[in-house]
Amino acid sequence: MENDYGVPTAPIVTSRFADYVQRDGRSHGMNLRWTFPPYPVGFIPKEILRSYVDGNDPISGVPLMDEVLFALTEPLTDAEKHPTILKRPARPRLLEPDTEANLHRLFLENGWTDGLPIVLPTEERVAEMLTGTDRGPQEYVGMMSVTTHEERLQYTVERVAVNAVMAGARPEHLPVLLALGESGRPSMPSSTTSFASMMMVNGPIRNEIGMNSGLGALSPVNYANSVIGRAWTLMTINLGDVRPGATFTASTGTTINYNNMCFAENEELSIWEPFHVRKGFKRDESVVSLFRGWTVLGFNTGPLQRMLQVMKSLSGPFGGGTFTFVMDPLVPKALKAEGYADPKQLSEYLINELNPRFKRPDMINFLVVGGEMNPMWVTTDFSYFQSVKIDPWIPKSGIKKDAKPLRMPEAVMCKDGSCGISH
Amino acid sequence: MKKNGTKITVFDPIGQPSGIFGRRLDVDSPMFAIHDPVHQPRDTAEKLGALKMAPRLDSLEGKTVYLVNTGFAGGKEFMEEVRDWFTRHRPDVKTELRHKKTSMFTDDPELWAEIKKGGDAVVFGVGG
Repeated sequence: MENDYGVPTAPIVTSRFADYVQRDGRSHGMNLRWTFPPYPVGFIPKEILRSYVDGNDPISGVPLMDEVLFALTEPLTDAEKHPTILKRPARPRLLEPDTEANLHRLFLENGWTDGLPIVLPTEERVAEMLTGTDRGPQEYVGMMSVTTHEERLQYTVERVAVNAVMAGARPEHLPVLLALGESGRPSMPSSTTSFASMMMVNGPIRNEIGMNSGLGALSPVNYANSVIGRAWTLMTINLGDVRPGATFTASTGTTINYNNMCFAENEELSIWEPFHVRKGFKRDESVVSLFRGWTVLGFNTGPLQRMLQVMKSLSGPFGGGTFTFVMDPLVPKALKAEGYADPKQLSEYLINELNPRFKRPDMINFLVVGGEMNPMWVTTDFSYFQSVKIDPWIPKSGIKKDAKPLRMPEAVMCKDGSCGISH
Repeated sequence: MKKNGTKITVFDPIGQPSGIFGRRLDVDSPMFAIHDPVHQPRDTAEKLGALKMAPRLDSLEGKTVYLVNTGFAGGKEFMEEVRDWFTRHRPDVKTELRHKKTSMFTDDPELWAEIKKGGDAVVFGVGG
Protein backbone atom coordinates (compact mmCIF):
# COMPACT_ATOMS: atom_id res chain seq x y z
CA MET A 1 0.00 0.00 0.00
CA GLU A 2 2.80 2.39 0.88
CA ASN A 3 4.76 2.13 -2.35
CA ASP A 4 2.30 0.85 -4.93
CA TYR A 5 -0.78 2.83 -3.88
CA GLY A 6 0.68 5.76 -1.96
CA VAL A 7 -1.55 5.13 1.06
CA PRO A 8 -0.03 5.56 4.53
CA THR A 9 -0.28 2.41 6.61
CA ALA A 10 -0.08 1.44 10.25
CA PRO A 11 0.71 -2.27 10.54
CA ILE A 12 -0.15 -3.96 13.83
CA VAL A 13 1.78 -7.11 14.69
CA THR A 14 1.83 -8.92 18.02
CA SER A 15 4.79 -8.18 20.26
CA ARG A 16 6.16 -11.74 20.01
CA PHE A 17 7.06 -10.94 16.41
CA ALA A 18 8.48 -7.46 16.98
CA ASP A 19 12.09 -8.49 16.34
CA TYR A 20 11.09 -10.63 13.40
CA VAL A 21 9.19 -7.96 11.48
CA GLN A 22 11.62 -5.18 12.32
CA ARG A 23 14.50 -7.27 11.02
CA ASP A 24 12.43 -8.21 8.01
CA GLY A 25 11.74 -4.54 7.33
CA ARG A 26 15.40 -3.63 7.58
CA SER A 27 16.41 -6.40 5.19
CA HIS A 28 13.80 -5.10 2.76
CA GLY A 29 14.87 -1.49 3.11
CA MET A 30 11.57 -0.33 4.54
CA ASN A 31 11.21 0.35 8.24
CA LEU A 32 7.46 0.46 8.58
CA ARG A 33 5.85 2.10 11.58
CA TRP A 34 4.86 -0.95 13.56
CA THR A 35 2.61 -1.14 16.58
CA PHE A 36 2.81 -4.15 18.87
CA PRO A 37 -0.03 -5.35 21.13
CA PRO A 38 0.59 -8.19 23.60
CA TYR A 39 0.72 -11.74 22.29
CA PRO A 40 -1.35 -13.75 21.51
CA VAL A 41 -4.56 -12.15 20.27
CA GLY A 42 -6.14 -15.34 18.98
CA PHE A 43 -8.73 -17.08 21.16
CA ILE A 44 -8.69 -14.24 23.69
CA PRO A 45 -11.85 -12.85 25.38
CA LYS A 46 -13.20 -9.64 23.93
CA GLU A 47 -12.61 -7.71 27.17
CA ILE A 48 -8.92 -8.55 27.11
CA LEU A 49 -8.61 -7.55 23.47
CA ARG A 50 -10.21 -4.22 24.35
CA SER A 51 -7.67 -3.74 27.12
CA TYR A 52 -4.90 -4.38 24.59
CA VAL A 53 -6.31 -1.71 22.27
CA ASP A 54 -6.83 0.74 25.11
CA GLY A 55 -3.48 -0.10 26.70
CA ASN A 56 0.18 0.37 25.89
CA ASP A 57 2.41 -1.21 23.31
CA PRO A 58 4.54 -3.46 25.57
CA ILE A 59 7.61 -2.89 23.42
CA SER A 60 7.58 0.91 23.37
CA GLY A 61 5.49 1.59 26.48
CA VAL A 62 3.44 4.11 24.47
CA PRO A 63 -0.39 3.96 24.26
CA LEU A 64 -1.09 1.59 21.39
CA MET A 65 -3.59 3.73 19.50
CA ASP A 66 -1.40 6.82 19.88
CA GLU A 67 1.21 4.88 17.96
CA VAL A 68 -1.29 4.03 15.26
CA LEU A 69 -2.28 7.68 14.87
CA PHE A 70 1.38 8.70 14.90
CA ALA A 71 2.16 6.16 12.18
CA LEU A 72 -0.41 7.71 9.88
CA THR A 73 0.14 11.40 10.53
CA GLU A 74 3.69 12.14 11.65
CA PRO A 75 5.76 13.34 8.66
CA LEU A 76 8.36 10.92 7.35
CA THR A 77 11.89 11.31 8.61
CA ASP A 78 14.79 11.57 6.20
CA ALA A 79 15.72 7.97 6.98
CA GLU A 80 12.19 6.88 6.13
CA LYS A 81 12.21 8.89 2.92
CA HIS A 82 15.50 7.39 1.82
CA PRO A 83 15.56 3.81 3.07
CA THR A 84 18.49 1.55 2.43
CA ILE A 85 18.70 -2.20 2.38
CA LEU A 86 21.09 -3.62 4.93
CA LYS A 87 23.40 -5.78 2.87
CA ARG A 88 24.66 -8.94 4.44
CA PRO A 89 28.43 -9.34 4.16
CA ALA A 90 29.83 -12.10 1.95
CA ARG A 91 30.98 -15.17 3.84
CA PRO A 92 34.62 -16.30 3.81
CA ARG A 93 35.60 -19.61 2.27
CA LEU A 94 37.74 -20.63 5.22
CA LEU A 95 37.50 -19.73 8.89
CA GLU A 96 40.38 -18.47 10.98
CA PRO A 97 42.60 -21.39 12.02
CA ASP A 98 42.03 -22.54 15.58
CA THR A 99 42.28 -25.59 17.77
CA GLU A 100 39.86 -28.44 17.26
CA ALA A 101 38.25 -27.83 20.64
CA ASN A 102 37.78 -24.14 19.95
CA LEU A 103 36.34 -24.81 16.50
CA HIS A 104 33.83 -27.28 17.89
CA ARG A 105 32.82 -24.61 20.38
CA LEU A 106 32.64 -22.00 17.61
CA PHE A 107 30.31 -24.13 15.51
CA LEU A 108 28.07 -24.87 18.48
CA GLU A 109 27.96 -21.32 19.78
CA ASN A 110 27.23 -19.88 16.35
CA GLY A 111 24.32 -22.26 15.89
CA TRP A 112 25.93 -23.94 12.88
CA THR A 113 24.98 -27.43 14.06
CA ASP A 114 21.93 -29.37 15.19
CA GLY A 115 23.44 -29.54 18.69
CA LEU A 116 24.91 -33.00 18.16
CA PRO A 117 28.65 -33.49 17.64
CA ILE A 118 29.85 -32.79 14.13
CA VAL A 119 32.84 -33.71 12.03
CA LEU A 120 34.88 -30.56 11.48
CA PRO A 121 35.04 -29.70 7.76
CA THR A 122 38.80 -29.57 7.30
CA GLU A 123 40.32 -28.96 3.88
CA GLU A 124 41.37 -32.60 3.67
CA ARG A 125 37.94 -33.95 4.56
CA VAL A 126 36.09 -31.61 2.21
CA ALA A 127 38.48 -32.50 -0.62
CA GLU A 128 37.74 -36.17 0.01
CA MET A 129 33.99 -35.46 0.07
CA LEU A 130 34.25 -33.70 -3.28
CA THR A 131 35.46 -36.92 -4.90
CA GLY A 132 31.81 -38.00 -4.64
CA THR A 133 30.92 -35.94 -7.71
CA ASP A 134 32.51 -34.78 -10.96
CA ARG A 135 31.06 -31.33 -10.56
CA GLY A 136 33.38 -28.43 -9.82
CA PRO A 137 33.65 -27.24 -6.21
CA GLN A 138 32.59 -23.70 -7.13
CA GLU A 139 29.68 -24.75 -9.31
CA TYR A 140 26.40 -23.17 -8.27
CA VAL A 141 23.91 -25.63 -6.79
CA GLY A 142 20.98 -23.55 -5.57
CA MET A 143 19.63 -21.12 -3.00
CA MET A 144 17.61 -21.61 0.13
CA SER A 145 15.89 -19.77 2.95
CA VAL A 146 13.73 -21.03 5.78
CA THR A 147 11.78 -17.77 5.81
CA THR A 148 9.32 -16.30 3.41
CA HIS A 149 10.78 -12.87 2.97
CA GLU A 150 14.40 -12.85 4.07
CA GLU A 151 17.26 -12.92 1.62
CA ARG A 152 18.05 -16.36 0.32
CA LEU A 153 21.50 -17.82 0.65
CA GLN A 154 23.17 -19.39 -2.35
CA TYR A 155 25.65 -22.20 -2.29
CA THR A 156 28.13 -24.15 -4.33
CA VAL A 157 29.05 -27.81 -4.54
CA GLU A 158 31.78 -27.09 -2.02
CA ARG A 159 29.41 -25.58 0.58
CA VAL A 160 27.15 -28.59 0.31
CA ALA A 161 30.20 -30.84 0.73
CA VAL A 162 31.19 -28.90 3.85
CA ASN A 163 27.82 -29.59 5.44
CA ALA A 164 27.98 -33.21 4.28
CA VAL A 165 31.28 -33.64 6.12
CA MET A 166 29.80 -32.05 9.23
CA ALA A 167 26.92 -34.55 9.18
CA GLY A 168 29.32 -37.48 9.06
CA ALA A 169 28.46 -38.36 5.48
CA ARG A 170 30.83 -39.93 2.97
CA PRO A 171 31.52 -39.15 -0.70
CA GLU A 172 29.02 -41.76 -1.93
CA HIS A 173 26.24 -39.82 -0.19
CA LEU A 174 27.14 -36.49 -1.76
CA PRO A 175 25.05 -36.86 -4.97
CA VAL A 176 21.88 -37.25 -2.87
CA LEU A 177 22.77 -34.14 -0.87
CA LEU A 178 23.51 -32.15 -4.01
CA ALA A 179 20.10 -33.12 -5.36
CA LEU A 180 18.57 -31.91 -2.08
CA GLY A 181 20.52 -28.68 -2.45
CA GLU A 182 19.33 -28.29 -6.02
CA SER A 183 15.73 -28.48 -4.81
CA GLY A 184 16.24 -25.34 -2.71
CA ARG A 185 13.86 -26.79 -0.16
CA PRO A 186 14.75 -26.46 3.50
CA SER A 187 13.93 -29.40 5.75
CA MET A 188 12.49 -27.08 8.38
CA PRO A 189 10.82 -24.04 6.81
CA SER A 190 10.16 -21.38 9.39
CA SER A 191 6.62 -21.53 10.68
CA THR A 192 5.21 -21.11 14.16
CA THR A 193 3.48 -24.43 13.44
CA SER A 194 6.80 -26.35 13.37
CA PHE A 195 7.05 -28.05 10.01
CA ALA A 196 8.57 -31.50 9.69
CA SER A 197 9.98 -33.06 6.52
CA MET A 198 10.40 -36.51 5.09
CA MET A 199 12.66 -37.70 2.28
CA MET A 200 12.68 -40.93 0.34
CA VAL A 201 15.20 -42.18 -2.20
CA ASN A 202 14.30 -44.37 -5.16
CA GLY A 203 16.37 -46.04 -7.85
CA PRO A 204 19.71 -47.81 -8.05
CA ILE A 205 21.57 -45.43 -5.75
CA ARG A 206 19.63 -46.72 -2.75
CA ASN A 207 21.49 -49.99 -2.73
CA GLU A 208 24.76 -48.62 -4.07
CA ILE A 209 25.17 -46.40 -1.02
CA GLY A 210 23.67 -48.86 1.43
CA MET A 211 20.42 -47.11 2.28
CA ASN A 212 17.94 -49.11 4.28
CA SER A 213 14.60 -49.78 2.70
CA GLY A 214 13.80 -52.85 4.73
CA LEU A 215 13.46 -53.69 8.37
CA GLY A 216 13.78 -50.65 10.60
CA ALA A 217 14.35 -48.30 7.67
CA LEU A 218 13.04 -45.35 9.66
CA SER A 219 14.94 -46.35 12.79
CA PRO A 220 18.46 -45.14 13.66
CA VAL A 221 20.09 -48.40 12.59
CA ASN A 222 21.51 -47.50 9.18
CA TYR A 223 24.47 -45.28 8.44
CA ALA A 224 23.38 -43.86 5.07
CA ASN A 225 19.80 -43.10 6.14
CA SER A 226 21.06 -41.41 9.31
CA VAL A 227 23.71 -39.14 7.85
CA ILE A 228 21.81 -38.19 4.69
CA GLY A 229 18.76 -37.18 6.68
CA ARG A 230 20.88 -35.27 9.16
CA ALA A 231 22.84 -33.53 6.41
CA TRP A 232 19.63 -32.08 4.95
CA THR A 233 18.98 -30.34 8.24
CA LEU A 234 22.56 -29.10 8.61
CA MET A 235 22.26 -27.75 5.06
CA THR A 236 19.02 -26.09 6.08
CA ILE A 237 20.61 -24.52 9.14
CA ASN A 238 23.66 -23.20 7.33
CA LEU A 239 22.52 -22.74 3.75
CA GLY A 240 18.90 -21.88 4.59
CA ASP A 241 19.75 -19.33 7.27
CA VAL A 242 18.22 -20.82 10.42
CA ARG A 243 18.57 -18.40 13.31
CA PRO A 244 16.18 -19.34 16.14
CA GLY A 245 13.94 -16.43 17.04
CA ALA A 246 15.25 -14.35 14.16
CA THR A 247 14.48 -16.37 11.06
CA PHE A 248 13.27 -19.60 12.63
CA THR A 249 9.97 -19.42 14.49
CA ALA A 250 8.85 -23.01 15.16
CA SER A 251 7.03 -22.64 18.45
CA THR A 252 7.50 -26.17 19.77
CA GLY A 253 9.75 -27.51 17.02
CA THR A 254 9.82 -31.18 16.12
CA THR A 255 12.37 -33.94 16.62
CA ILE A 256 11.59 -35.19 13.12
CA ASN A 257 13.89 -32.42 11.88
CA TYR A 258 16.93 -34.28 13.25
CA ASN A 259 16.79 -36.85 10.47
CA ASN A 260 13.75 -35.94 8.36
CA MET A 261 12.45 -39.52 8.22
CA CYS A 262 15.09 -40.36 5.63
CA PHE A 263 14.71 -43.77 4.02
CA ALA A 264 14.71 -45.63 0.71
CA GLU A 265 11.66 -47.20 -0.84
CA ASN A 266 11.57 -50.98 -0.78
CA GLU A 267 11.17 -51.39 -4.52
CA GLU A 268 12.17 -55.05 -4.37
CA LEU A 269 9.35 -56.15 -2.08
CA SER A 270 6.69 -53.72 -3.24
CA ILE A 271 4.18 -54.99 -5.76
CA TRP A 272 3.53 -51.44 -6.90
CA GLU A 273 5.56 -49.41 -9.31
CA PRO A 274 8.21 -47.47 -7.41
CA PHE A 275 7.08 -44.04 -6.27
CA HIS A 276 9.45 -42.20 -8.62
CA VAL A 277 8.13 -44.14 -11.61
CA ARG A 278 4.62 -43.05 -10.65
CA LYS A 279 5.96 -39.50 -10.76
CA GLY A 280 7.23 -39.89 -14.31
CA PHE A 281 10.82 -40.99 -13.78
CA LYS A 282 12.40 -44.12 -15.20
CA ARG A 283 12.90 -47.08 -12.95
CA ASP A 284 16.68 -46.95 -13.39
CA GLU A 285 16.89 -43.28 -12.48
CA SER A 286 17.88 -42.36 -8.96
CA VAL A 287 15.54 -39.81 -7.43
CA VAL A 288 14.94 -38.20 -4.06
CA SER A 289 11.35 -37.26 -3.21
CA LEU A 290 10.49 -34.64 -0.62
CA PHE A 291 7.48 -34.37 1.66
CA ARG A 292 6.45 -31.87 4.30
CA GLY A 293 3.84 -31.83 7.02
CA TRP A 294 3.72 -31.79 10.77
CA THR A 295 3.13 -35.10 12.37
CA VAL A 296 3.05 -38.84 12.21
CA LEU A 297 -0.53 -39.42 13.14
CA GLY A 298 -0.37 -43.04 14.23
CA PHE A 299 0.14 -46.55 13.02
CA ASN A 300 -2.53 -48.99 12.07
CA THR A 301 -3.20 -52.29 10.49
CA GLY A 302 -6.22 -53.35 8.59
CA PRO A 303 -8.04 -53.09 5.32
CA LEU A 304 -8.95 -50.15 3.13
CA GLN A 305 -12.04 -49.21 5.10
CA ARG A 306 -9.91 -48.87 8.22
CA MET A 307 -7.63 -46.56 6.25
CA LEU A 308 -10.57 -44.40 5.27
CA GLN A 309 -11.93 -44.43 8.81
CA VAL A 310 -8.61 -43.17 10.17
CA MET A 311 -8.39 -40.45 7.53
CA LYS A 312 -11.85 -39.22 8.38
CA SER A 313 -11.01 -39.11 12.07
CA LEU A 314 -7.85 -37.05 11.54
CA SER A 315 -8.19 -33.51 10.41
CA GLY A 316 -4.61 -32.33 10.88
CA PRO A 317 -3.75 -28.87 12.19
CA PHE A 318 -5.37 -26.98 9.31
CA GLY A 319 -8.25 -29.08 8.22
CA GLY A 320 -6.35 -31.97 6.74
CA GLY A 321 -7.11 -33.63 3.49
CA THR A 322 -3.48 -34.39 2.72
CA PHE A 323 -2.02 -37.71 3.74
CA THR A 324 1.10 -39.68 2.96
CA PHE A 325 0.97 -43.28 4.04
CA VAL A 326 4.17 -45.08 4.91
CA MET A 327 3.38 -48.75 4.56
CA ASP A 328 5.05 -52.10 4.95
CA PRO A 329 5.31 -54.08 1.69
CA LEU A 330 2.69 -56.49 3.05
CA VAL A 331 0.05 -53.74 2.92
CA PRO A 332 -0.04 -53.23 -0.88
CA LYS A 333 -0.31 -56.99 -1.22
CA ALA A 334 -3.35 -56.99 1.07
CA LEU A 335 -4.85 -54.00 -0.76
CA LYS A 336 -4.41 -55.81 -4.05
CA ALA A 337 -6.40 -58.67 -2.60
CA GLU A 338 -9.11 -56.11 -1.86
CA GLY A 339 -9.12 -55.06 -5.50
CA TYR A 340 -6.75 -52.09 -5.40
CA ALA A 341 -3.72 -53.13 -7.39
CA ASP A 342 -2.90 -49.59 -8.46
CA PRO A 343 -2.04 -46.88 -5.90
CA LYS A 344 -3.48 -44.21 -8.19
CA GLN A 345 -6.80 -46.00 -8.17
CA LEU A 346 -6.56 -46.26 -4.39
CA SER A 347 -5.77 -42.58 -4.03
CA GLU A 348 -8.71 -41.57 -6.23
CA TYR A 349 -11.07 -43.75 -4.23
CA LEU A 350 -9.92 -42.29 -0.91
CA ILE A 351 -10.04 -38.67 -2.11
CA ASN A 352 -13.56 -39.10 -3.41
CA GLU A 353 -14.68 -40.75 -0.19
CA LEU A 354 -12.94 -38.14 1.94
CA ASN A 355 -14.22 -35.32 -0.29
CA PRO A 356 -11.98 -32.54 1.09
CA ARG A 357 -12.70 -28.89 0.39
CA PHE A 358 -9.86 -28.61 -2.06
CA LYS A 359 -8.95 -31.53 -4.24
CA ARG A 360 -5.61 -31.59 -5.96
CA PRO A 361 -3.40 -34.30 -7.35
CA ASP A 362 -0.93 -35.89 -4.97
CA MET A 363 -3.07 -35.24 -1.90
CA ILE A 364 -2.81 -38.87 -0.92
CA ASN A 365 0.45 -40.72 -1.43
CA PHE A 366 1.69 -44.18 -0.61
CA LEU A 367 5.30 -45.06 0.14
CA VAL A 368 6.42 -48.64 0.62
CA VAL A 369 9.14 -49.42 3.15
CA GLY A 370 9.82 -52.05 5.73
CA GLY A 371 10.78 -55.63 6.40
CA GLU A 372 7.48 -57.50 6.12
CA MET A 373 7.42 -58.14 9.84
CA ASN A 374 3.96 -56.64 10.26
CA PRO A 375 1.31 -55.56 7.73
CA MET A 376 1.15 -52.09 9.23
CA TRP A 377 0.81 -48.64 7.82
CA VAL A 378 1.63 -45.26 9.31
CA THR A 379 -0.50 -42.23 8.55
CA THR A 380 1.16 -38.85 8.21
CA ASP A 381 -0.20 -35.42 7.33
CA PHE A 382 2.70 -34.90 4.95
CA SER A 383 2.27 -33.41 1.49
CA TYR A 384 4.35 -34.47 -1.49
CA PHE A 385 6.29 -31.56 -2.92
CA GLN A 386 8.96 -32.56 -5.37
CA SER A 387 11.17 -35.29 -6.76
CA VAL A 388 14.70 -34.42 -7.83
CA LYS A 389 16.99 -36.50 -10.03
CA ILE A 390 20.19 -37.54 -8.34
CA ASP A 391 21.92 -38.90 -11.45
CA PRO A 392 23.25 -35.55 -12.73
CA TRP A 393 25.34 -35.31 -9.56
CA ILE A 394 26.75 -38.86 -9.76
CA PRO A 395 30.30 -39.17 -11.19
CA LYS A 396 30.48 -40.51 -14.74
CA SER A 397 32.49 -43.43 -13.38
CA GLY A 398 29.64 -44.21 -11.01
CA ILE A 399 29.11 -43.89 -7.30
CA LYS A 400 32.38 -43.87 -5.45
CA LYS A 401 32.59 -47.06 -3.45
CA ASP A 402 34.99 -48.36 -0.86
CA ALA A 403 36.41 -51.86 -1.12
CA LYS A 404 34.27 -52.61 1.89
CA PRO A 405 31.30 -50.22 1.88
CA LEU A 406 30.24 -48.94 5.25
CA ARG A 407 27.08 -50.54 6.47
CA MET A 408 25.44 -50.61 9.86
CA PRO A 409 25.40 -53.31 11.02
CA GLU A 410 28.02 -55.04 8.90
CA ALA A 411 26.92 -55.52 5.34
CA VAL A 412 25.47 -58.93 4.78
CA MET A 413 23.04 -59.15 1.90
CA CYS A 414 19.45 -59.93 2.68
CA LYS A 415 17.65 -62.41 0.51
CA ASP A 416 17.35 -60.23 -2.57
CA GLY A 417 20.64 -58.47 -1.99
CA SER A 418 19.13 -55.09 -1.56
CA CYS A 419 18.02 -54.18 1.92
CA GLY A 420 21.12 -52.51 3.25
CA ILE A 421 20.63 -54.16 6.59
CA SER A 422 20.78 -57.72 7.77
CA HIS A 423 21.29 -59.88 10.79
CA MET B 1 44.44 -36.53 14.65
CA LYS B 2 45.93 -33.16 15.61
CA LYS B 3 47.24 -32.79 19.12
CA ASN B 4 45.48 -30.43 21.47
CA GLY B 5 46.64 -26.90 20.80
CA THR B 6 47.45 -27.50 17.12
CA LYS B 7 45.53 -25.10 14.94
CA ILE B 8 43.61 -26.42 11.99
CA THR B 9 41.74 -24.74 9.15
CA VAL B 10 38.12 -25.52 8.43
CA PHE B 11 35.56 -24.30 5.94
CA ASP B 12 32.81 -21.80 6.67
CA PRO B 13 29.54 -23.75 6.38
CA ILE B 14 27.26 -20.77 5.71
CA GLY B 15 25.77 -19.88 2.32
CA GLN B 16 26.42 -16.60 0.54
CA PRO B 17 23.92 -13.70 0.31
CA SER B 18 22.12 -13.90 -3.02
CA GLY B 19 20.26 -10.59 -3.34
CA ILE B 20 17.09 -12.63 -3.92
CA PHE B 21 14.15 -12.34 -1.55
CA GLY B 22 10.81 -14.09 -1.26
CA ARG B 23 7.60 -12.13 -1.61
CA ARG B 24 3.95 -12.35 -0.64
CA LEU B 25 1.90 -14.66 -2.81
CA ASP B 26 0.24 -13.53 -6.00
CA VAL B 27 -3.52 -13.88 -6.16
CA ASP B 28 -3.26 -17.04 -8.22
CA SER B 29 -0.42 -18.61 -6.21
CA PRO B 30 -1.27 -21.84 -4.43
CA MET B 31 -1.53 -21.34 -0.67
CA PHE B 32 1.24 -23.81 0.09
CA ALA B 33 3.67 -21.71 -1.97
CA ILE B 34 4.28 -19.40 0.95
CA HIS B 35 6.75 -21.97 2.28
CA ASP B 36 7.69 -23.31 -1.12
CA PRO B 37 10.81 -21.80 -2.68
CA VAL B 38 9.91 -23.20 -6.08
CA HIS B 39 6.50 -21.58 -6.36
CA GLN B 40 6.95 -18.51 -4.16
CA PRO B 41 7.24 -15.19 -6.02
CA ARG B 42 10.60 -13.45 -5.70
CA ASP B 43 11.95 -9.96 -5.31
CA THR B 44 15.43 -8.65 -5.90
CA ALA B 45 17.44 -6.33 -3.69
CA GLU B 46 17.39 -3.73 -6.49
CA LYS B 47 13.63 -3.82 -6.73
CA LEU B 48 13.15 -3.66 -2.98
CA GLY B 49 15.62 -0.81 -2.68
CA ALA B 50 13.34 1.38 -4.74
CA LEU B 51 10.33 1.00 -2.45
CA LYS B 52 9.08 4.23 -0.84
CA MET B 53 6.80 4.95 2.07
CA ALA B 54 3.75 7.08 1.32
CA PRO B 55 3.54 10.69 2.53
CA ARG B 56 1.70 11.00 5.83
CA LEU B 57 -1.61 12.79 6.39
CA ASP B 58 -1.68 16.21 8.06
CA SER B 59 -4.57 15.07 10.19
CA LEU B 60 -7.10 12.26 10.37
CA GLU B 61 -10.00 14.63 10.91
CA GLY B 62 -12.73 13.87 8.38
CA LYS B 63 -10.63 11.18 6.80
CA THR B 64 -11.51 7.57 6.04
CA VAL B 65 -9.30 4.92 7.59
CA TYR B 66 -9.63 1.35 6.37
CA LEU B 67 -9.12 -1.31 9.03
CA VAL B 68 -8.02 -4.56 7.42
CA ASN B 69 -8.17 -7.91 9.18
CA THR B 70 -5.35 -9.84 7.57
CA GLY B 71 -6.69 -13.20 8.65
CA PHE B 72 -4.50 -14.42 11.50
CA ALA B 73 -6.25 -15.87 14.56
CA GLY B 74 -7.91 -13.08 16.57
CA GLY B 75 -7.46 -10.51 13.81
CA LYS B 76 -11.17 -10.07 13.21
CA GLU B 77 -12.00 -9.52 16.87
CA PHE B 78 -8.99 -7.26 17.44
CA MET B 79 -9.77 -5.04 14.48
CA GLU B 80 -13.37 -4.76 15.65
CA GLU B 81 -11.97 -3.39 18.90
CA VAL B 82 -9.82 -0.95 16.94
CA ARG B 83 -12.94 0.19 15.10
CA ASP B 84 -14.74 0.63 18.43
CA TRP B 85 -11.81 2.66 19.73
CA PHE B 86 -12.16 5.07 16.84
CA THR B 87 -15.90 5.32 17.49
CA ARG B 88 -15.29 6.12 21.15
CA HIS B 89 -12.23 8.36 20.87
CA ARG B 90 -12.12 9.70 17.32
CA PRO B 91 -15.67 9.99 16.01
CA ASP B 92 -14.34 12.52 13.50
CA VAL B 93 -12.64 9.65 11.67
CA LYS B 94 -14.69 7.39 9.43
CA THR B 95 -13.61 3.74 9.52
CA GLU B 96 -14.25 0.90 7.12
CA LEU B 97 -13.56 -2.60 8.43
CA ARG B 98 -12.60 -5.18 5.83
CA HIS B 99 -11.55 -8.80 6.03
CA LYS B 100 -9.07 -9.99 3.46
CA LYS B 101 -10.70 -12.42 1.07
CA THR B 102 -7.38 -13.98 0.20
CA SER B 103 -5.10 -15.66 2.74
CA MET B 104 -2.90 -13.65 5.08
CA PHE B 105 0.03 -14.46 2.81
CA THR B 106 -1.61 -13.48 -0.45
CA ASP B 107 -1.87 -10.25 -2.36
CA ASP B 108 -5.37 -8.71 -2.57
CA PRO B 109 -5.22 -6.05 -5.33
CA GLU B 110 -8.99 -5.74 -5.45
CA LEU B 111 -9.08 -4.60 -1.83
CA TRP B 112 -6.04 -2.36 -2.27
CA ALA B 113 -7.78 -0.63 -5.19
CA GLU B 114 -10.89 -0.12 -3.08
CA ILE B 115 -8.80 1.43 -0.31
CA LYS B 116 -6.95 3.67 -2.75
CA LYS B 117 -10.25 4.85 -4.17
CA GLY B 118 -12.21 5.30 -0.97
CA GLY B 119 -9.69 5.65 1.84
CA ASP B 120 -6.98 7.97 3.09
CA ALA B 121 -5.06 5.55 5.29
CA VAL B 122 -5.07 1.92 6.34
CA VAL B 123 -4.43 -0.03 9.52
CA PHE B 124 -3.46 -3.68 9.05
CA GLY B 125 -3.82 -6.22 11.82
CA VAL B 126 -3.03 -8.39 13.42
CA GLY B 127 0.12 -10.06 12.26
CA GLY B 128 1.63 -12.99 14.11
